[in-house]
Amino acid sequence: MAIGELHPVARAGALLADNPPASESLGFYVHVPFCAQRCGYCSFNTAPLEDGAIAPYLAALERELDLLGGLAWAPRVRIATVFFGGGTPSLLAAAELAAVLERLRARFELAPDAEVTVECNPESVTRAKLEGYRAAGVTRLSLGVQSLDDALLLRLGRLHDARGARAAFAAAREAGFANVSVDLMYGLPGLDADGFAGTLEAVLGWEPEHLSAYALTLDAGSRWAAAGVPGLPPEDLVVEQYWRLARAAAARGFEHYEISNYARPGFRARHNLTYWRAAEYLAVGPGACGFVDRLRYTNIRATPRWVETLERGALPVDASEILTPRQRRAERLILGLRTADGVPRAWLEARLAGDPPLGRRVEAWRARGLLGDAGDRVRLSEEGFLLSDALFVELL
Amino acid sequence: MVLSHIRNFSIVAHIDHGKSTLADRLLGLTGTMDAKKAVDQVLDSMDLERERGITIKAHTVRLLYRARDGREYTLNLIDTPGHVDFSYEVSRALAACEGAILIVDAAQGIEAQTLANFYLASDANLTIVPVINKIDLPASDVQGTRAQITETLDLDGDEALAISAKHGTGVPEVLEAIVHRMPPPEGDPDAPLKALVFDSFYDSYQGVVVHVRLRDGRVRPGTRVLLMSNGRAYDVQQVGVFGPEMRPVEELSAGQVGYLTAAIKRVADAKVGETITEAARPTVTAFPGYRDAKPMVFAGLYPIEDTDYEALRDALEKLRLNDPAFTFEPETSLALGYGFRCGFLGMLHMEIVQERLEREFGLSLIVTAPSVQYRILTTKGEVLDIDNPSKLPTPDRIEQMEEPYVRSSVFVPTEFMTAVYKLAQDKRGEHRSLEYHGKRVHIRFDFPLAEIVVDFYDKLKSISKGYASFDYEFADFRPSDLVKLDILLNGDPVDALSIIVHRDKAYERGKVLVEKLRAVIPRQLFEVAIQAAIGSRVIARETVKAMGKNVTAKCYGGDITRKRKLLERQKEGKKRMKQVGRVEVPQEAFLSVLKS
Repeated sequence: MAIGELHPVARAGALLADNPPASESLGFYVHVPFCAQRCGYCSFNTAPLEDGAIAPYLAALERELDLLGGLAWAPRVRIATVFFGGGTPSLLAAAELAAVLERLRARFELAPDAEVTVECNPESVTRAKLEGYRAAGVTRLSLGVQSLDDALLLRLGRLHDARGARAAFAAAREAGFANVSVDLMYGLPGLDADGFAGTLEAVLGWEPEHLSAYALTLDAGSRWAAAGVPGLPPEDLVVEQYWRLARAAAARGFEHYEISNYARPGFRARHNLTYWRAAEYLAVGPGACGFVDRLRYTNIRATPRWVETLERGALPVDASEILTPRQRRAERLILGLRTADGVPRAWLEARLAGDPPLGRRVEAWRARGLLGDAGDRVRLSEEGFLLSDALFVELL
Repeated sequence: MVLSHIRNFSIVAHIDHGKSTLADRLLGLTGTMDAKKAVDQVLDSMDLERERGITIKAHTVRLLYRARDGREYTLNLIDTPGHVDFSYEVSRALAACEGAILIVDAAQGIEAQTLANFYLASDANLTIVPVINKIDLPASDVQGTRAQITETLDLDGDEALAISAKHGTGVPEVLEAIVHRMPPPEGDPDAPLKALVFDSFYDSYQGVVVHVRLRDGRVRPGTRVLLMSNGRAYDVQQVGVFGPEMRPVEELSAGQVGYLTAAIKRVADAKVGETITEAARPTVTAFPGYRDAKPMVFAGLYPIEDTDYEALRDALEKLRLNDPAFTFEPETSLALGYGFRCGFLGMLHMEIVQERLEREFGLSLIVTAPSVQYRILTTKGEVLDIDNPSKLPTPDRIEQMEEPYVRSSVFVPTEFMTAVYKLAQDKRGEHRSLEYHGKRVHIRFDFPLAEIVVDFYDKLKSISKGYASFDYEFADFRPSDLVKLDILLNGDPVDALSIIVHRDKAYERGKVLVEKLRAVIPRQLFEVAIQAAIGSRVIARETVKAMGKNVTAKCYGGDITRKRKLLERQKEGKKRMKQVGRVEVPQEAFLSVLKS
C-alpha cells in the first residue's frame, strides 16, 4: 500500500519509520501540558490541571514511548539529553516522573552522562519532590522565576512570589542539584531598567549555573496578544534592559552563548543546543515537536485527542513536513547564528555564493560590527543578536 | 445588403447610467444571444473591465432585428470606452456611426460625461436619440430629466424614451427608434474602398483584427489594401462580422461594420482613426481627424529585480501590440537602475498597464511618480519637452517653463458649489463660467493638468458625496512658476522621487512627502534621513530611526518551523523593496509621491 493511501495517523507512523535519524545521538523532549493557571503572556500548549487528568496523560505518554521505542531504528539510537518542558512539568510527583524516565530507559538507550532537565515552577516544588526527581535521574532544573517583583508576578499570572522563588532555588540546592538554571523575563509592562537590574542582581546572587532571560514577546495564542496589555515599555527601554543583563551576566563570569541564554563555563544547556545546531530530537506529549532526518513532526495539540489517539494504538502525529535541502541549510544557518559559536564560515560563504547583492548586505553587517569571524567560524556579536531576525530574513 | 436596412449606432452615457445594461437588453431582445447569458455584461470582456465596471476598449456586435414594419434590419452596435482617458477612441468609434443613443439617468440627470459625450456625438454629426433610463427608481424624475435634456442638450426632451433597462421596460421602443429615427448609412459600394479603423486588437493566430466601418467600396479576402497614414499594403485574409463572436463573411461593403485580418503584425500599424483603401484604386481623401493618441501622463517603470529588465521590455512590447496608445522608451535612473519611461493617456490607463504587467506577466514593478510633460524654453532659445523631472535643466539654463492646462467641466448639485470652488482653488483652477441647471450647476474651470491628473476626481467625488461629475480635455501650455522638488535619502538625491511642482506649493508638498516616506520606509540597521530640497535648500526633513531590536527571544524545538515560515513571509515582503544606495525602499514609497 502506498503511503498516500494510509490513514493520516498511520501515515505519520510510517513517516517516522521511514525517516531513521541520521545521527546515533538524539535529544528527547517530553511535553507536560498541565498548568494550575495560564499566564497572560503564555502561548504554549497548556492544559488545565483538572482532577484525574494526569493519570490518563501518563498512561498515554508511556504508550507513546512504547510506540516510538518499537520503531525499527529505535535500538540503534542513544538518548543524550532529556527535557521535560511544559506546561508545568514540576506538577508531576517524583514517582510519576520516575515512571516516565523508567519507561524511556526501557525503550531507548539513555546515555550514562545524559543531561535530564525538568522545568519547575517555584510554587510546585519542595525539597522532598526535588530529591525524588534527582533520585529518578534528573540532573538539571530550570526554575521559572521570571521576576522578583511581587506586584509584577501577580500581573504576569504567576502563582509564586519572590520569597517562594528564593525558597525553591534553595530547595534545589538542598536536594543536591549542582546545575540549576533560572528563567527571567524583561521588557515587562511597568518594569523599568532599575527594577529589572534589582531582580537580576538578586538572582545572580543566588549563583545559578545558567540563566535564560527573555524579552517579553506577545505571541499569537497568548491572552495578552489577544486583549492587549497596558504599560509596555518602549523599545529603547527593552534594549537597555538587554544590555544591563548582558553586562551583569558577563561580570559574574557567564558566557552569553545564545541570544537569550547565559551559562557559567561547562553549564550550557546541552538539550537546547541540539535545537540550535539543527540536530535531531524525538518528542513525546501533546503538541511536542520532533525532528529526525529531514522530517519535522508535531503531535496533536489537544491533550484529550492526543490521549485518544494513543489509546487507539497510533502515534499522535498531527502535522509533519519534510525539509528540503535548501530549508535545512537555511535553518542550520539561522539557528546556528543564534549562538555564540556561530556557524562555520564555509556555510555562510556557500549561501552567499552567486548572490552578490546579498553578499554586500551581509558585508554591511560585518562593517557595523554585528557579525564577525571567530577562527574559521562566523558569529553575531551581542549587538548583532539584538537585530538578528533582520539578518535571518536575508539568509533564508 | 441594402443600405436602408443597416443602422450603425453607439450608446453613450455617463458612467453608471446603464449603458451596459441596455446593451445587454438589446442583445437579448434581438436574440443575438441567450438572454440568460446576457446577465453578465458581455461587452465588457476583459477581466480588468469587469472588475472596474468600465469599458476600456471598444467592442462591436451585430444585432439582427425584425422591426414592427416587418422588415429585418442589421443593427451594428459599436460600444465605446467609458472613461475620459479614452476620449479620442470614443470620437473614432462615433465616427463609424450614424446615430447614438444618449442615456440619461432619471435620478441623476445630466452629468459631465453626458455632456462630453453629447458634444462628441454632435461633432460627429450623429442623430442622437435621448433615452431616460432607470425610471423604475423611486428617486427618478422623468419630467425633470426631460426638461433638463431640452434645456442643456438642445434636444427635444419630450422625444426622449423613458425606459428601465434593468426591467426591460420601454426597450423595444429603443429598437424601433434606432430603425426609424436614425438614418441608414450612405455610401457607394462601387466607389474606391474607404474604411475607417475604429478599433483593433491583436490575436496571436490571425495577427491584428481590425474593426472597420466601410464608407464606400467593398473588401473581401484577397483584396490588396493600403493603410493611408503609413502607406503600408496588405492582402486581406478574412473579413467578417461580430455576432458577437467573430463570424467570417464573403464581403463587407459600403455602410457595413465588421472586421478584417491581413497578417498585420502590430496594432500600431493599424491604429484607431486610420483609413483603409484599395491599393489598386485608392480613395482620394482619408478620413479627417486621424491623430496619434498622445500620452498625457508619464512615469518610469522599473523592475524590482534588475534581472527582470529584459522580461519587462518583452512584456511592454507585447502589450503595445494591442495598445498603441502607450509609449515606452528605455531610461536609466541612478536610484532604480534600468527601466522604461512610459507615456499613458491618463492615470487609469497607467494603472491598467501596470496591473496587466503584474498580472499577466508576473512582474514586480516600481512605478515612479507620474509626471505631465512640461515645455521648457532654455536660455539658449531651445524648446525642450520634459516628461521626467530628473531631466529638467538647472534653473540657470531655464528661460521659461510652461505646463499643460486642460479645460474642464464640473457638474454638481448647488449645495456642494462652495466645496468645489475651494478644491478648484487648491488645485490652481481658473474659473471660466458658471451655469445653473435647476438644482445643479455646470462650472467650467481651466486646470493645470498636473493638478488634476492624480487624485482630483477622487477628491471631487468625496467632497460632493459622490454627486459631482467631471470631464476635461487638453487646452494649451501656459507659463508657470515651477520648481523641481528633490527627495534625498541620507543626503543622496533619489532621482525617481523628484517631482515638478508650482513654487507656491513646494513647501507643503515637500513636508507631506517626507512624512509619507517616513511612514513607509521600514527601519534599517542605520538611521535614514529623508529630506525634501529645492536646489541645495532643504525645506523638510524626517528621520527613520535605526532598528533597535529585531529578534526572536525564544527559539526551541517547537518554534523552529513557525519561525522559519514567519521569516519566509517577511522575505516575500522584502522582495517588494528596492535597494536605493544603502537604503531599502518599498514599492509603495514611490507611489506615495502620487497622493499628497
